[in-house]
Amino acid sequence: MRKILLLLIASSMMVPAGTFAQRKKSFSPKKASASSSSSRESTLRNQLSNALRQAQGGQYEAAANALFSLSRRPELADERAQIKYILGTMLIELKLYQTAAFQFVDVIRMKNPKYSKLAIEKLSIVADTLGDDTILNYAISRVDLNDFPSNLKDMIHFRLGEISLRNRDFTKASDLFSRVGSGSSYYYQALFNKGLAEMEGSQPAVAVGTFNKMLDARRRAPVTDTNKVAAQLGLARALYQKQDWEGSIEAYAQVPRDTVLWHDAVFEQSWAMLRAARFRSALSNFQTLHSAYYEDFYMPESLLLRSIVYLYICKYDEMEKVLSLFEKTYGPVRSKIGDFLKSTSDAASFYAEVEKANSMKISEKGSGLRLPYIVSRNVLDQGDVKRSMNYLEKLNQEKRRVEANSAFRASPLGQYALKIIANRGRNTKFAIGDMVKAHLLNMRVELRDLYEQAGFIRYEMITGRKESIKKKIAGKDLGAEQIDENIDRQFYIQNGYEYYPFKGEYWLDEVGNYHYLGKQSCE
Amino acid sequence: MMNGFKAVVIFVLAMLLQKAAFAAEVVELPPEELAQESVLPVFDRPVSVRNRTIVTNKKFEVDGFYSYAMTEPIANVSKLGIGIYYNTSESHAWGLLVGKHSTGLSSYAEQLDKQFNLDFARAPYPDLTTMLDYNLKAFYGKMSISKSIVFNTLLFGSASAGMVKYIHKSYPAVAVGMGQKFYFTKDWAVRFDLRLYAHQAPVPFLASRMKTTDPTPEYSEFEERLTFTTNLDVGLSYLF
Repeated sequence: MRKILLLLIASSMMVPAGTFAQRKKSFSPKKASASSSSSRESTLRNQLSNALRQAQGGQYEAAANALFSLSRRPELADERAQIKYILGTMLIELKLYQTAAFQFVDVIRMKNPKYSKLAIEKLSIVADTLGDDTILNYAISRVDLNDFPSNLKDMIHFRLGEISLRNRDFTKASDLFSRVGSGSSYYYQALFNKGLAEMEGSQPAVAVGTFNKMLDARRRAPVTDTNKVAAQLGLARALYQKQDWEGSIEAYAQVPRDTVLWHDAVFEQSWAMLRAARFRSALSNFQTLHSAYYEDFYMPESLLLRSIVYLYICKYDEMEKVLSLFEKTYGPVRSKIGDFLKSTSDAASFYAEVEKANSMKISEKGSGLRLPYIVSRNVLDQGDVKRSMNYLEKLNQEKRRVEANSAFRASPLGQYALKIIANRGRNTKFAIGDMVKAHLLNMRVELRDLYEQAGFIRYEMITGRKESIKKKIAGKDLGAEQIDENIDRQFYIQNGYEYYPFKGEYWLDEVGNYHYLGKQSCE
Repeated sequence: MMNGFKAVVIFVLAMLLQKAAFAAEVVELPPEELAQESVLPVFDRPVSVRNRTIVTNKKFEVDGFYSYAMTEPIANVSKLGIGIYYNTSESHAWGLLVGKHSTGLSSYAEQLDKQFNLDFARAPYPDLTTMLDYNLKAFYGKMSISKSIVFNTLLFGSASAGMVKYIHKSYPAVAVGMGQKFYFTKDWAVRFDLRLYAHQAPVPFLASRMKTTDPTPEYSEFEERLTFTTNLDVGLSYLF
């Protein structure tokens, strides 16, 4: 990369000299009065040559400062595309990606036949580093894929695939993802997204093959490898969609516990267990999902699912408790979301709320939030918000980089960089605010639906209770006997369990190992 | 003491053998209900336990204890004491310990008296130990000892500084050690402390002065030197 850069700068150094020589030839004989402007131009060209020499010598900061001031000179209008392009590459070297991106966008706008194409390539790389979709889409929309150098094609296919996936064109997305070569750093992400597109396109069997392929390729990776775990979860979801409940349960169980995806895996596995009529196993999962370790997690559906499982095994008292817990927990959540949406209109306030919750994740959870912490946390975990927060963090890093160097900060380029970063930061915060609002609106709708479902479940509970009482009166009830009625501690120890009488004290090493020992109460 | 230890070993072995004798049938359980791997979930703020049964933070604790000086050759090895602690957090506690030493001699000193007619009652002996104690509560755990009984346990390190008062003079002392508490209710625990004390102390061996026929020595005649004593404390602790 460094060699290419040096070659580029070296070749660039020849270009201005040549251009200058040509100009000199055409301009000098015409007007004597132009001699002063010519000498100024000559000085500028010397400065340009010096700047390029500095760039070549690895003095990126000095070169960038000089190139920045030269890029504004009207005398060098013809070389502006070239100057800005090299300035952009200098800024990449200084890890000022956002500022660099703006130079490349300028070059593309100039439609310079030589540098526009090069700038598009560089802009793609910068936007990819920043995770900035807007810039990336801008770059991609201005280029013919066939013109792209082969080393960047994988990235472009991947990004185009993402765009198609977002536009719900699943066949096209799958095709684009499959074009990403196995040697590319995007390969595994592309495979995962391909599986996702296939599932969205109602082709779970094909998706199973894709996820298995990904798993196979990552077989030797560590147990918590992100790609491996994502593939495992994808496989479990595809099997679930295929209605292969047993296969799905097994696949979910392979998701390792020390990954952030484990919690989702346990919850989704509980659905699969319900569908496979393995109620005891499902209820074991809920001991974990509803343990104190997940008190900060927003998961109303999981409580309803638990109550449905209790309904299937006619445990009406337990069902009542869970439904009450649902109402007690999510009633205030629902009303607070509603109040917040009613009283807040500007995107900045929406952003400010989640930003507060985001910093609370690092320090201690405190008060001062208008939304319940579980809601803010849930919104922060949404893909689009997470991605934009990451982008914002990259901007902050860039800002810190500029501010850390007081000389550079005081320079015109430093001031310009800070201005760009501030603008981008402000706009990103507004964009995040809009995303937060959209998610809150979705949550409000979802909670309304879930409350409706809770009402139906409660109705079923009352009906079930009535039937149970009827049977009791007729002497047909099962009594209160439990599955572990006649089994002592020895039973568990001999089967590889560690057994402690439960006292409501939750231990980290026990999460995921709780077991429900009740049994069916239905006739 | 040795006999007591043997009794405990025999009791534990008997319990283990009893378990083996009750070998039950092998019960098949679906493998998917067992954990597939041994790693732990990831949390933003990882803590080992939630809803802990024993909460010590911002609480006082009173201990009554019996102390046994394991390496004391001459003076009585027993001491009774009381301690009061304040737990500033779940990790740190600060306290004051006061221990009253029993008078008299150790069984070894009595044996020397019988065999060689040496009267070590002439030597100065410790009277009172007062220490400021710091506890670093390192591990909170639990232990199941029967089908239905679970003890919560707390392992801690201790560092103390204070005075050991002999019958004639006081000496500054420091001690380090470790201890273990077994909580049998939310408030009550059995507490064990093993401490190594270091302080200046009179050497009880004084040539030509220890036999009853020798002239009675002054306490000031005994030489002093840095003395190390290992103490095992056993007591009851109440948290409030």
